[in-house]
Order: sequence, then C-alpha cells, then structure tokens
Amino acid sequence: MTRYLLKRLAFAALTIFAALTVNFILFRALPGDAVSGLKCRQCTPEFKEAQRAALGLDQSLWQQYVLYLKGLLHGDLGNSWRPPHPTVWSQLWDPIKRTLPMILLGTVFSVVIGVSLGLLAAWRRGSMLDRTATGMSLAAYSMPTQWLALLMVLYLAGWLGLPTSGVKDPDLEIAQLLGDVGWWELFIDQLRHMILPALAIGIVFAGDYAIITRSALVETLSEDYVLTARAKGLSRWTVIRRHALPNAALPIVTLMALSLGTVVGGVLVVEYVFSYSGIGLTVVQAISERDYPVLQGAFLLLTVAVVFANLFADLLYPKLDPRVVLR
Amino acid sequence: MKKTTRLAGAALALASVLAACGGSDGGSSGGGGSTTTAPGGEGSNTTIGGDVTPTGVLKVGTINGIDSLNPYNYVEASSYNAMLMIFPMLVQYKAGSDEFEGDLASSWEVSADGKEYTFTLNPGTWSDGTPITAADAAWTINTTVKFADDATAVSAGAVSHVVEATAPSADTLVITYDAAVSNVLPQLQTLFILPQHAWEPIVGADGAGLKTYAPQEQLPIVSGGAYTIEKWEKDGTTVFKANTDFYGPKSNVEAIALVLYTNEDALLADLKAGEVDWADEVPIAAATALQAEASVVVEEVPGSQTNNITWNSNPKKKKNRELLDPKVKRAMSMAIDREGLIEVVYGGHAVTVESMVGHISGSWENANLGPLAMDVDAANAALDELGYLAGSDGVRVVPATDDQPEHKMSYEVMVPDSLNFNGKRQFELVADNMKAIGVDLKLLSGGDATAAFAYETGADCDAAAGTGYADFDIAMWDWVGYRDPDFMLSVTTKAQWCSWSDSGYDNPAYDTLYEQQATLIDVAERKKVVDEMQQIIYDDVAYTQLVNMNMIHAYRSGWTGFQLDLNGYSKRYYTDVRPAG
Repeated sequence: MTRYLLKRLAFAALTIFAALTVNFILFRALPGDAVSGLKCRQCTPEFKEAQRAALGLDQSLWQQYVLYLKGLLHGDLGNSWRPPHPTVWSQLWDPIKRTLPMILLGTVFSVVIGVSLGLLAAWRRGSMLDRTATGMSLAAYSMPTQWLALLMVLYLAGWLGLPTSGVKDPDLEIAQLLGDVGWWELFIDQLRHMILPALAIGIVFAGDYAIITRSALVETLSEDYVLTARAKGLSRWTVIRRHALPNAALPIVTLMALSLGTVVGGVLVVEYVFSYSGIGLTVVQAISERDYPVLQGAFLLLTVAVVFANLFADLLYPKLDPRVVLR
Repeated sequence: MKKTTRLAGAALALASVLAACGGSDGGSSGGGGSTTTAPGGEGSNTTIGGDVTPTGVLKVGTINGIDSLNPYNYVEASSYNAMLMIFPMLVQYKAGSDEFEGDLASSWEVSADGKEYTFTLNPGTWSDGTPITAADAAWTINTTVKFADDATAVSAGAVSHVVEATAPSADTLVITYDAAVSNVLPQLQTLFILPQHAWEPIVGADGAGLKTYAPQEQLPIVSGGAYTIEKWEKDGTTVFKANTDFYGPKSNVEAIALVLYTNEDALLADLKAGEVDWADEVPIAAATALQAEASVVVEEVPGSQTNNITWNSNPKKKKNRELLDPKVKRAMSMAIDREGLIEVVYGGHAVTVESMVGHISGSWENANLGPLAMDVDAANAALDELGYLAGSDGVRVVPATDDQPEHKMSYEVMVPDSLNFNGKRQFELVADNMKAIGVDLKLLSGGDATAAFAYETGADCDAAAGTGYADFDIAMWDWVGYRDPDFMLSVTTKAQWCSWSDSGYDNPAYDTLYEQQATLIDVAERKKVVDEMQQIIYDDVAYTQLVNMNMIHAYRSGWTGFQLDLNGYSKRYYTDVRPAG
C-alpha cells in the first residue's frame, strides 16, 4: 500500500510538472502580450519597454520559465500583471471560495439526478420509463453547457425567481452599506445565486451519471447473488438498495473523480454566462489580458485538484470493493 | 479607440483618448475672450442647483466592469466613468452640445495669446472634510506633467503642452501652456483633480507610487465628486453613494449600484424582469426585441462607433501589393452593398458614414466626402482597366510586376472574435459582394482584441525602425471616435505605429497637418486642416467606412433624466437620473 501510494504520488508530481510546463508554453503562444494590450495613446516605445522589463517579459522564455519554477518551489505563484499587481494567490482565493461550493452543489445535483435516472431506467429495464430516462440522459449528456445555461437565463430564471448573474444581490450590497444585514440573509442570497449555475452543471453531468449507473446496475442485477436475494423473497427495491447499488458504486465513484476535470471545463463557460465571479470568470479575463501568472496559477490549482481527485478515487477503490488490491 | 479592446487593456484609452477629444473649446475664445458658465446653468434637470433630496436606488447593469479607481492606472471604460463621478474635474460637456460648462470651475478666462487659462473654482470639500482648493488642482496638473513619460503617461494627453499650474489663491487656478493649443478644454475635461493630501504621500521619488496605488482596495476613497464609492468589486457590484455635500448638481438618487454582467442576454433578461433599472449599453441584435417590452424604454442616438474595412497601407507591405493602389481599393469598395449590411447585420440600427471621423464629431466630420455608392459595373470596369482580368475560375489575376509574381485576387480578411456586432455575418455579405467583381475573400478569425492587433502590427513592430505591418492585407474592425477629431486623426499618423495605428499608414505630409491642427485655435482654420486630412485618408482609402452604429440604451419606464450623449463626458450622466414623477 505504502509503495503504491509513493508510486502514485510520484506520478502525480510528474503529471503536475508536465501540466505546468505545457501551460507555461501554451499561454505564451497566444499572439500579443500584457504590454501590447496596453494601447495607451501616450505610451512611448520606451515606456512599453520599461513595462516589459518590469514584468520580466524582456527576458528569454527559458529565463522566465526558470524564474517561474523557482517561485513555485518557494510556494510563490507570482504577481498578477494587471495593475496594481496583486499576488496571484490573492486574485484566486476569492474566486475559488465562490466556485468550490458551486461545483459541490452542481455535483450533488448531477449525482442525485443522474443516479436516480439511471436507477429508474435499470429498475424498469426495457419499459417506456427506461427509454424515457435513457433518452433524457443522452440529451443531457450531449447538451452544450453554455447553451443550457443560456436557456436557463432566458426561460427558467424568471419562472423560478432566481437571479441570472453575479454572486450577490445589488440591493443587499446597498443594504449592507446603509445598515446591517444578517449572515443568514447573506447565506440564502449567495445560495440563490449559485443554484442556476450549479443546476446547469448538474444537468449536463447528470446524463453521464445516469448512463453509467444504468449500465452498472443492469450488469449487477444479472449477477447470481441478486438472483439469490430475489429467491429469498426480498423486495425489488431492497435488492437494489442492499445488493445491487453498493456493487455498482465503483464506476460511479470513478466517474465522480474523472469528471472533475470536465466539470472545471464546464465551470469556465457557466460562470461566464451567469457572470458568476469564480475561478472560471477569472481565467477568461486573464486570457483576454494576457495575465500569464494568473492563468498559470489557476491552471496549476485546477491540475492539482484533478490529479488528487483521481488519486483519492484510486485509494477509495479497496474500501468500496475488497476485491481491489493496490500494489 | 478600438471598441473591442476594452477588455484587453486598450483603453488606458478612454482617459488618453478623451484627453484628445471634445468639440470646440466651448465658450472659450482663442482671441482672449472670456466665458463664464455656472455649473448646472444649462441643465435639463429641474433639481439642478437646488436642494435635492435624493431618493431611491438606481441599479445599472453594465457589460464593462470597473478594474481600478486610480486615474493613472486603469483599463476599463467603466473605470473612467466611475472616476468621473467621484473626482472633481475643471469642466464638463453640456448636454446635447459640443460646448462646456463648469464642474469644479465656475468660470474661466483665456489670455490674449491663448497660452494662459485662469479658472475660478467652486467651493467644495473632500469626503474627509478637507476643503477642495486650487492647490489640489495645481498639484494634480504639475504631478501629471512631471511624470508624463512614465507613471502618469495615461493622463499625459490631458496636460499636453502645459508648462505649469499655479494656485494664486484657494479658488484661483492658472495653467500656462507653451503654445496656444486648439483643444484645451476637451483635454482638461478628462483630468481628474485629486486630493493632494491623500495622494502626495504615495507618489515616491520617481512617481512609481502613482502607478501601484490601488485606492479601490482601501475604501472609502477620498473623493470630492457627486458620489463616493464605499463598495467595489472587480467582477461584481460597485456602489456609488450620493455625496450630499457635492459642490455641483447633486444626485437625484441615494445610491447607484453598478452591476457587472459578462453575458448580455442575462442583463437584458434582468432588465425585463425589473432586476436592474438601466442597461447602459444594449447590443444591436437585442434592441428590436427589447423595443416590444412595454415596461422598458429603448433609446438610440448616433453612436461613436464606426465599422470599417482596414487596408494595410504600409508602403513596405510584402505581398498583394496591388492593395496599396487606391484605385483597386476604391473599386473593391464600390462592390459593397452597405445598405444591405445595415439591414441584415445591424437590423437598421446603423447608418452609412464616409469619413474616418464619424458622426459623433458633428461639424468636424468632412461632409464633402463620398458618398461611396454601390456600383458593381463601375467596379468591374475599373479592375478591367487595371489589367486584372478574370481567370478560368472567375477570380481575377494580378499580372507579375517587379515587386511581386502573378497571383490571384484572393485575400485573407482578419475579423476579430470580440466584436459587439456580428462581424462574421458582415464578412460573409462583403465576400458575396466581392465575388461579383472576381475577388475572392477568405475569413481569418483574429481572436481577441490583443491577438487581432498583434496580427495587424506583426511581432516585429518597431515604429523607430519602421518595421511592422508587413504581412496582413485586410481587416474588418471598428473604431470608437470622440467629439473632437484629434484622436481619430492621430491613428493614421506614423507616430502611432505599433500603438494605435492599425493600418500602417505612413504619409509625412499628413503627419505635418496633424501637428498643425493641434495648435490652430481658430476653429475655422482648424476645420479646414481637419477636412483636408480626412480627404487625404479618404482618397488614399486607408479605410473603407461601412457603417456608423447607433448607441442604444434601455431603462425601466419608472425612471427619467437619462442623457445618453453624456456618457463619459459629464457627471450629469448619473446625477440627472431620477424616478419618474
């Protein structure tokens, strides 16, 4: 187990190193840089060169790369290139605090909706219910996230009375300035703002969960021990709950870990549609500003999150299925 | 300013751009006359100048966020507008006019030689209780001049040609110029007066502190305008609280919440639902649908944005050098159905325009240019006459010359992705038009504004060395002009290579005229030179102007007092807005 863990940790470190190297090269392949974007009328070529020097852009790519790695080894993600050049960490912390609960809620939505649909489909395999649930799952699975998010903005938000943008009600912002606002009111408001973005992510990824759940359950339900359980006179629901579902959990947990990377991709577009100032919106803005340090920092954190989620899933397998042995 | 650069940092722009903008010098006469304008004297708001009891909260939805409240270091246009609301300025534009009225200044006089401006200031106080004096204004101007090559470069245009500013008394400010300047008031209209006691300690020896200072991170900021900002979020909501001690026309509402939307559809949905009261910029594609909403008022005025075809005009461009010939460009332009574009791409919310100085500049626009009429037969005849005959595939062929081999008239057209209109559809229509004259156009997606500009200038752009603008042929983009034509005229000067120039246009005679117009204080004389410059650009076809877009905004019907033309030009843009009835 220890050897396996060390091996996996080394592999994770290698993956992260490769990802941060690719990110470093990739962002710099974009045309223009942070200074060429500053089309200040009064900015002389000398001024622009001074800006480049201040940002380290006058150094060779190799030098910039070495400096970047040195900084990382000291736990320093660098400073944003956008004035007044705050630390990257300070630029990412607030967005992360907003995105994490939203992703979490979205994952809850997708697991609840997806597993329920998959369960229903497997339970009534071959019936109209199965065909409907499978059809809905496939539709959700193939739906572009941003398109679904836009439909929600246009048709669902008004109907549900939920906000379509931001993370806090402007009325509440003003109320906070003019008087006291309770934490409960703030909490409920923030929850209301994250429901639609989370639902957009939830629905799209629910398709994935539904298909996997159905497939795993159908396979499990054909096992001998399920037949034995039925023969013992257990109800269909009890059979599914006690015997089939726990054994079908392995692919679902795998999917939860694997889908983190895809969820992050979905977050980029969903946050943009809902003006939700999380990590996705920060990345989009950093791209348009050629703010490489912020981009590198954001993608490094996302890479670390995905790599460790996968590692966590690996380590969880033996707990879920004693047949799995880590070597 | 390239409209689409607003997210990419282009617009350190608005300050520097507006520094060069504005109409005539309002009431100031270059001959040494004097003008006195009381603040609020010409306003349309009945509450102006009186005791206002601000009521209600105005929620403004915008697609342009506030990134900084430091006048020397900001990017977004909304930042400029926010600073305009919280900091005093000497003068501001009057509503519906190219003339000026006082903001902090109650009156001003110009010396006989046009080199000295004396301003009398209104009494006012900063938000921390310190009096606003002429010393604050003098310090701001002198500091901006002192570090104009570096730390204060963004605002340097506002103090162009200034020798020094002095404060003989608390309410008297004297600004001395090294020459008579044609657009002093338009320049000063962009200069934010800062509280000396709050800003002087952060300057540092080389002025570096002016660039790194982030007052938005240390709220409440010391301000003296119509509002104070006590809540700011880069990607969220900024709250403007009415300043009840403001020296000028006070706000009609208690507070304004400026809410950032990254998605225009969400903004419009919230406007319809009453979640926001005002959308300060409505996309053209949504305007018609929004007009059907009973509870929403949609207004449009001739806008400042002109959309064009940009021709690479660098005489040293490497390939397809026939595109340097104005006859070729003129013939191709004659094939374009601009009325069709207005109908299909802009839904009727645009008009034709001929000069690079668009309709926003009013009488500064040369009315004698064009009009460029669609005439496919004449276009074909012109290209035939040049010897560019159609090949077997219908595409014309340019015969070999000393500087290039024989080749087809087939060109890539760069269209940026980050446009506020359907640029791809516009390209398709223009490409269809061009087929009729045997010219093949291919779409090249330009990416965001920074990438698109980098494509135009080339990676090796160096104005001093004369390199850059070597590879691209044609682009379809836009410009946002201003009331004073100075900025738009500047973008085709050699001095703007690698900075604002998107065409690589290089004409020393034109550059000389540009310098000349900047110091002609007689409006008629300046107009003559400005007209001549527009004629040169038109004749050389550095641009083919396609349309002048309308500026559209929308608000809930329970509100009134909106003055769309004052966006970025006056505090009244916010202060005059009030609940209807």
